[in-house]
Amino acid sequence: MIGWGIFPIFAILAATAGVVGSVSAWRSHGRSATALWSMWIATVVLLLFIVGLWITLERPPMRTMGETRLWYSFFLLLSGAFTYHRWGYRWVPSFATLLSTVFMVINSLKPEIHDTTLMPALQSAWFIPHVAIYMFAYALLGCATLLSVYSLFGNRSVDKAVESLLYGGVAFLTVGMLTGALWAKQAWGDYWSWDAKESWAAATWLIYLLAIHLIRFKRAGRGVICAVIVVAFLSLQMCWYGVNYLPTAKQSVHVYNR
Amino acid sequence: MEILYKSVTFTQKRGIMQISISRYTITSLLLILVAVVVAWLCEVLLGAFPMGFFAFPMNVVLIALWVIALVELFRARERNVVARYLLSTQATVTALVLAAIGCIVVGLQSKPATQSYLFVLLVIYVMTVLAMVTLRGWRVGGAVRLRFLMSHLGLLLALIAGFWGAADYEELRMVVDDKPRQEAIYIDGRATNLDYTLRLADFAVTYGKSGMPEQYSADIEVDGKRVKLEVNDPYRVGFGQSIYLMNFEQSDANTHIIVQIVHQPWRGVMVVGIVMMIFGALLMFFGGAKQ
Repeated sequence: MIGWGIFPIFAILAATAGVVGSVSAWRSHGRSATALWSMWIATVVLLLFIVGLWITLERPPMRTMGETRLWYSFFLLLSGAFTYHRWGYRWVPSFATLLSTVFMVINSLKPEIHDTTLMPALQSAWFIPHVAIYMFAYALLGCATLLSVYSLFGNRSVDKAVESLLYGGVAFLTVGMLTGALWAKQAWGDYWSWDAKESWAAATWLIYLLAIHLIRFKRAGRGVICAVIVVAFLSLQMCWYGVNYLPTAKQSVHVYNR
Repeated sequence: MEILYKSVTFTQKRGIMQISISRYTITSLLLILVAVVVAWLCEVLLGAFPMGFFAFPMNVVLIALWVIALVELFRARERNVVARYLLSTQATVTALVLAAIGCIVVGLQSKPATQSYLFVLLVIYVMTVLAMVTLRGWRVGGAVRLRFLMSHLGLLLALIAGFWGAADYEELRMVVDDKPRQEAIYIDGRATNLDYTLRLADFAVTYGKSGMPEQYSADIEVDGKRVKLEVNDPYRVGFGQSIYLMNFEQSDANTHIIVQIVHQPWRGVMVVGIVMMIFGALLMFFGGAKQ
């Protein structure tokens, strides 16, 4: 039975593969096959744990903070492997591995308490795509934020990468938000109800759109764009878990772990 | 038609810092000031926003007039200063910044003030800028024309359906038991009669280990026709109208369910807008950051 008890084993395996991938990517000029393979192996190791946990829990593991963090570490590695495969930036595997490992460590040190039942409102075909797409977006945008800050310290070579990650991340953010709206119609009767979580999701989306528009207009300086990206990422944290600590969370329909 | 004014420029002349602000930025700031004053005056003089006034056909008439006005404005964009402002980068940036701030304010409120005058003015401003930019994208085009139109026109349709359609949105609650019934109540407490009857035919619930219901479903009869209702699986009963299973109460003697009946005639417009935006996002992912 695969459960949180043996997660550290999977985490160590995935992190090791990620580190091997990162080192080979840094050392090679051009795309490294070893790096690519290591990243895919790291991704598959986490995928195996997710599938095992899914079978053990008898439901998709997408409900608690711990479980969403598990998907976050998985999609960080996946998007890292995918981005490295697609564009071949040598820094990508290290960024993806570093961020992914942070979440794996958090999950190993304090796995949340899981109960095995999923409330009826979450039992929908929209559940997995909605959360998975959001996780993928968070992962891409997390990388974009770090790179954008890095670019402030004079490294202009990553500007194109920030833009690419931003486009990919915002595309996923859009689809995630809209699948949420379609699901809300099916579950509660309306597409949008200005719940705290929805409002922060809209704010996050709009701030990212602002960043993309500023880049396209070629009017704002690097510092301004970086500041907007950082504010957008902070808003994303607010949307993701920050709203749970707001007084308004008491009447939110999107807080499931109370 | 490219507008090349800098929003805010800092220059240093003989050691003195000089700040110049473009007239479009000043226009944006003035508009915000006017909107705040107008919203405050409306709040004081008129009270709550009269949502019911905008119900069909008023909303359709207003949308038609608004679209005609914007098309005319767009045609006159070379000489009309309002059109030039609405098409400026400052107007787009202002719309995005204000919309983000609006969402954050709403996200901090325990009772979202989305029907306050200020919020209504903000939505109208955002829709107007978006509509003008969409018109330009339609006419001008370029390599990413399809992607641009899908994202912008899709969002515009979704906003129109959400904002103007809100006046036609109706939500009712009804208790359904084993006798055919028609009496339902609106969210605000008014009673009404449906033009069909509902009766509970069968009900099933399974409980989890924690004692909480894991899943429940109800078979109901709509005018004698048997259909199944589940959480996340409503039944469509007419144009833009659906019945949702909300809750249940079960005792030894009897079982009844609470259903929610939603009438949303603008649903089709919303779905078209959302699907267009999803398509635009996919084009954005595969196309990347090309100009």
